Amino acid sequence: MTIDAIYFDGEYARDRAVTITVDGHDIIFTGDGVPETRWSIAGLHPVDPPSSGQPFRITHSSKPGARLVIRDEDFIRTLIDNHRHLRGGYSWTHLRQVAAWTLGGIIGLAALGYVLVSFLPQKVAYILPDGWRNRVGEQVVKGLVENARRCDSAAGNAAKSAMIAALAEGNPDLPPVSMEIYDMALVNAFAAPGGKIIFTRGILEKADKPEEIAGILAHEIGHVAYRHPEVQLVRLTGLQVLISVMSGSNGGDITSNIAALAALLQYSREAEREADDYALSAMQKASIDPMGLRTFFEKIRKEEGSTSKSGQSSTLGKIGNVFSTHPGTEERIKRIVPMPAGQVPVQVLSPEQWQALKAICAS
Amino acid sequence: MTDTPDSHLPERLTFTYVPRKGLLKLTIVNFLLSLITFSIYRFWAKTNVRRHIWSCVHINGEPLEYTGKGKELFMGALFVFLLLILPIVLIVALIGLIAGPDSPLLMIPQMIVIFGVYLFWGFAIYKARKYQLSRTQWRGIRGTLAGSAMTYSLLYFGSLMAKGMSLGWATPVMNTVLQEQITNDMRFGDAAFKFKGRAGPLYPTYAICWILSLVALIVIVALIAASSAGSTFWQDLFSESSSPDSIDKAVGYLLVGFLVFMVLTALIIPMLWSIYVAKELRTFANYTRFDGAAFKLEATAGAVIWLTVINLLIIIFTLGIGWPYVNQRTVKFVVDRISLEGMIDVDRIRQSQVPLDRRGEGLADAFDVGGL
Ligand SMILES: [Zn+2]
Repeated sequence: MTIDAIYFDGEYARDRAVTITVDGHDIIFTGDGVPETRWSIAGLHPVDPPSSGQPFRITHSSKPGARLVIRDEDFIRTLIDNHRHLRGGYSWTHLRQVAAWTLGGIIGLAALGYVLVSFLPQKVAYILPDGWRNRVGEQVVKGLVENARRCDSAAGNAAKSAMIAALAEGNPDLPPVSMEIYDMALVNAFAAPGGKIIFTRGILEKADKPEEIAGILAHEIGHVAYRHPEVQLVRLTGLQVLISVMSGSNGGDITSNIAALAALLQYSREAEREADDYALSAMQKASIDPMGLRTFFEKIRKEEGSTSKSGQSSTLGKIGNVFSTHPGTEERIKRIVPMPAGQVPVQVLSPEQWQALKAICAS
Repeated sequence: MTDTPDSHLPERLTFTYVPRKGLLKLTIVNFLLSLITFSIYRFWAKTNVRRHIWSCVHINGEPLEYTGKGKELFMGALFVFLLLILPIVLIVALIGLIAGPDSPLLMIPQMIVIFGVYLFWGFAIYKARKYQLSRTQWRGIRGTLAGSAMTYSLLYFGSLMAKGMSLGWATPVMNTVLQEQITNDMRFGDAAFKFKGRAGPLYPTYAICWILSLVALIVIVALIAASSAGSTFWQDLFSESSSPDSIDKAVGYLLVGFLVFMVLTALIIPMLWSIYVAKELRTFANYTRFDGAAFKLEATAGAVIWLTVINLLIIIFTLGIGWPYVNQRTVKFVVDRISLEGMIDVDRIRQSQVPLDRRGEGLADAFDVGGL
């Protein structure tokens, strides 16, 4: 069977009339300035899927720029019926390729996510210069305490130093920290980058013994020692990168909104356990009664149902109290056990110092 | 059967849109595959929709052919992501980390990024156009842009500045200059497109649209003010005895008024400007020649409005899934109205010697430049 077709050689726009014959596994065509050409049917592929009423356009792997345009419907039908690869449309190769790239994309993003949110923060937190830590720490504290007044009194400040000194006893590698108290009613304490540990007036009022505050201080020093605030901040930046990359938009100033600040203080259980272990070991070395911390935790837990509304409108209030930012309370309380028999607990603060500390916001 | 080129006479080229079945199936399959591949399939989706639409555009009975590949678009996007977006985002984040979260220093990288986007917007347009032309074939011959994307980009940036500083009045001149630049770079095989003409004839229409928009704005504001004048709005807002309740009411009026204003302007202003868009389309087609023959595009403001409104409705009611139909309608709009006045000796046109880019449209995809 010989049929008429049009041939474009891919070099000139000129259309050339040719005749095609099928010869076994090949087609042969010749005509209008086209020398006899033999194309294997296996090497043919359709430019578009065949569509009734439309000419069928095919090309060959040996000359990808060339086009044969066939209008003979019977010829097209016979050709397609005998050679399914000429139907075009979706092929498994095509779908497999897409699936592979999708999988690659997901794996790539997951790897990027791991590096940005887990691997890098742990590494970067320890190489950040102190100047940066202090400056950013101040910004974080400012964002959290807002307009609250920083409490200062000569006697109160002396008591703070005495409490840190009591903890440093037997703990020579205690990281340098500063303890600041802010005039806020809500009960909370947190560590910010640069070794800044913030207590609220509310948490001081809630405490009945200096050992309770010393225990919380030890826990927060644990966060400082492990650089948890810095890790969280770098992690947050990594998260920002990931979000901008995935949403295709500028992630915006994620570090200056409440959700971000909340995330900053929302440590993992593992981080809390690290801080607890640090606190318990430090207290034991300094001979400070760890039961103070336990008493305090139990006191707060009892009151959880009837949380006071005071200070709820502040940023720190919205984020939650010392418990909601420190998950897994029950199990953590159980891990605080009394000092071994025979070890004599020291007096953390004298009664006068304790009174001065509790009254630091009064002046 | 003869072999002599002389036997072929120059022909008149006619453009027709010959619809073919399968766009609905493509749309649905594209949507489903995009869904399960977290939109990575969109590059292949774009490609097979273009292949479909291109194949419906017949010039003298022979269809256009789109030879682009989804992988090329994917690679283009990946390339831009790894070499541009990721480094920029990382640098901005690093500066944020070093300077601290509240630092005013953060403004600097953000401004540089915004400036960079404006500077390279034209580059993205040019490269995307070049990719599409080089993947468009007719009678086995492909198109291309033979000039510099950077030149166009600088020109584009300059035009943005000029338009802004002249309150829009530089638009006809700048659009003409841009169109001239890109059209004169356009090739089909070894045959060139030529653009020649002045912006002057666009100005009467531009002035009419500009003034009408101003009048429309004033009328809309006046209407809203008049409709609120009957109410107790002003008394509520300014009377000595205004209670918090009446202030709330006044603020409510203000809000409703503002919404009405936004909706009216969003509808009426683009409609007014369709008059200019249609005029510009007709004029630019007139200024464009291919191998000595002049184009003609019979676009009216009404047709442009109709096209835009229906396209918008398709996007809204299909939640964006119907975008292939929007592309189809836009191509059909042009094909139905375009003609080439003059004879072309098609047979002597040779294949383009401009090398093909291996990746496509990465920057345009990142900027979401638009177009097909
Ligand atoms: Zn903690």
